Amino acid sequence: MTEWTLCLDFGTAYSKAAAAPTGAWARFDPATVRPLMLAGEEAETNPFLLESAVFVDDQQVLFGSAAVQRADQFSGGKRRALRSFKTLLSVSDLDRALATNVPGSIDPHRLFQMRDLIVLYLAYLLAAINRAAGQDGDISQATGLKVRYAAPAWRDADSAGTHASILRLFGEAEALRNALGKKLLSPEGLSMALVTKAVPKAMAAPEPLEMSLIFEAPAAAAYTSIGLRDAGSHFIVVDMGAGTTDIAGLVRDRDGIQELADARYTLKQAGDFLDGIIANRVLKAASWARGTEAQTALWAMLMRQMADVKETLFAEGRVSIRAQGRGVTVAMRDIERDQDFREFIKTLEHAYEHSIAVVRGDALVRGRAEVEAIAVGGGAAAPFIQALVKQKYRGKPRVTARPATPDWAHAPVFAGNLAPVFPQLAIAIGGALAPDEMLAVNGGGVRRLAAGRNDTQAARD
Amino acid sequence: MPAVASSKVKRASKAGQARRPSRKTPARSRTLNDALAEAAWAEADAALAEALADLDEVEGAETAAARRTALAMLAQSLARAGRKRGLTRIGEVGGKAAYSAAAHELAVPAKRAPKRVVISARGVARGGAVLAKPRVKPATRGKKPGRKKKP
Repeated sequence: MTEWTLCLDFGTAYSKAAAAPTGAWARFDPATVRPLMLAGEEAETNPFLLESAVFVDDQQVLFGSAAVQRADQFSGGKRRALRSFKTLLSVSDLDRALATNVPGSIDPHRLFQMRDLIVLYLAYLLAAINRAAGQDGDISQATGLKVRYAAPAWRDADSAGTHASILRLFGEAEALRNALGKKLLSPEGLSMALVTKAVPKAMAAPEPLEMSLIFEAPAAAAYTSIGLRDAGSHFIVVDMGAGTTDIAGLVRDRDGIQELADARYTLKQAGDFLDGIIANRVLKAASWARGTEAQTALWAMLMRQMADVKETLFAEGRVSIRAQGRGVTVAMRDIERDQDFREFIKTLEHAYEHSIAVVRGDALVRGRAEVEAIAVGGGAAAPFIQALVKQKYRGKPRVTARPATPDWAHAPVFAGNLAPVFPQLAIAIGGALAPDEMLAVNGGGVRRLAAGRNDTQAARD
Repeated sequence: MPAVASSKVKRASKAGQARRPSRKTPARSRTLNDALAEAAWAEADAALAEALADLDEVEGAETAAARRTALAMLAQSLARAGRKRGLTRIGEVGGKAAYSAAAHELAVPAKRAPKRVVISARGVARGGAVLAKPRVKPATRGKKPGRKKKP
């Protein structure tokens, strides 16, 4: 019997969870890493990804893929599913944000505040985790389960205070899960009558939950350096997500892991910004799409396919798109000609140069010979991000770029199946593998606050 | 979650309950691997479906330009499906190497094994396993493949 550690990761689009035996850091065996099938073993799509979505229908509240499918039946944006919990959970004044009313496009009944829908989704997520953990032969027999959640670095907020609010939300969600049980996972969702009755009760009597917090940058450092004989002491992590591009410098010593406050940068240009540039370039190249209606249709189609468009653009340097019976091709060099993009790259390079100087400087002072550079997030494969982390520097400490998918993910035990899906599960896996010293907040008490963090140093609109 | 943890603590503390033998491990690994493979396939399926549709476009193209466009789309869809499945290419088209029967597949029959070969089609690997060897032709001394001689 073993104690296990589980980490859940709210992605902007999907939630993920992974588990590993507690202490995996000290005696790492790739075979013990266990991504959890949150969407259920019967899921027709990727069973490890749980759609982060809640849809308030006329008579029901739907979750996950059922919520997304129902929302897709409405066109014109009049009705939407609530998504992007991650963005909401990282706002500076969380309690205030949670107390806001939900827009009418999400809740036409005008019944819910943000808090209600977040608690409902978290209850659904906890039910999915419980089902997945119960189906795993090892985890279901664990002597105990430590639970962590991964989060981006809070901005303009007190970590401990935000963590307490998050714990309260999870406590309410756990009470709701206990009250509703398997009904939460029904594809038909929950009836409105049940929801309006059960949610206030759960909020009035939350179940206390012990959860730890790990920031995404240390989680990335954990999955990158675990099992390496030459695991470094210094890391620079470039995380390009949907809303922001974050650069963090980390140093690991005997006391744990801490962030080098002077190395932190947050740029407001990231995946969404890039999507806009690509879409505009495609629109410009598609000479046949003229008129508002044709361009709106093309824009909407591009946004639906944007993940694949970017994947191909980054991998091959060009992408061809078929729309309205015609083809259009956009190359990476077209994007690089865009004035906004060039300014973004200039700012990004400046921020990275400053950060790497801080991290290398600290490594030098501590007599360390190496800094590990890691790219994570949806933009990790972008050529301009890869160019940053692979940049060579004269003298010591040297900077070594680590692959987005670590070598251990190619271990024979996975028969080549983990590596293709690793990037999506990476933060959850890293969070489960990380030793306690890497946590931002451990259990009920504050272990290591991000008190040394600076607020955003470079932010451009 | 706590429900799992607490119930498992109770189960674990039952007196006399023997630890389960490890005979379950291979089956568990297989299940996880199957699910991981399914996950990767779920991502690749859409690209593969696109490729099949693109193939029809190639075969039905009425002009050379339409055929070129359709071929480019087909190549893109297939490459995307391959990446989603974690497939990587081996070698570079036009690259030269010492011939090895274990590492190369001769694209044209030869009476004697050539010493040096030029890659005419890249190979494909997944993880450490080679799924298709690079196809090669005997290298011709002094002639660079893919480049026309100057008149």
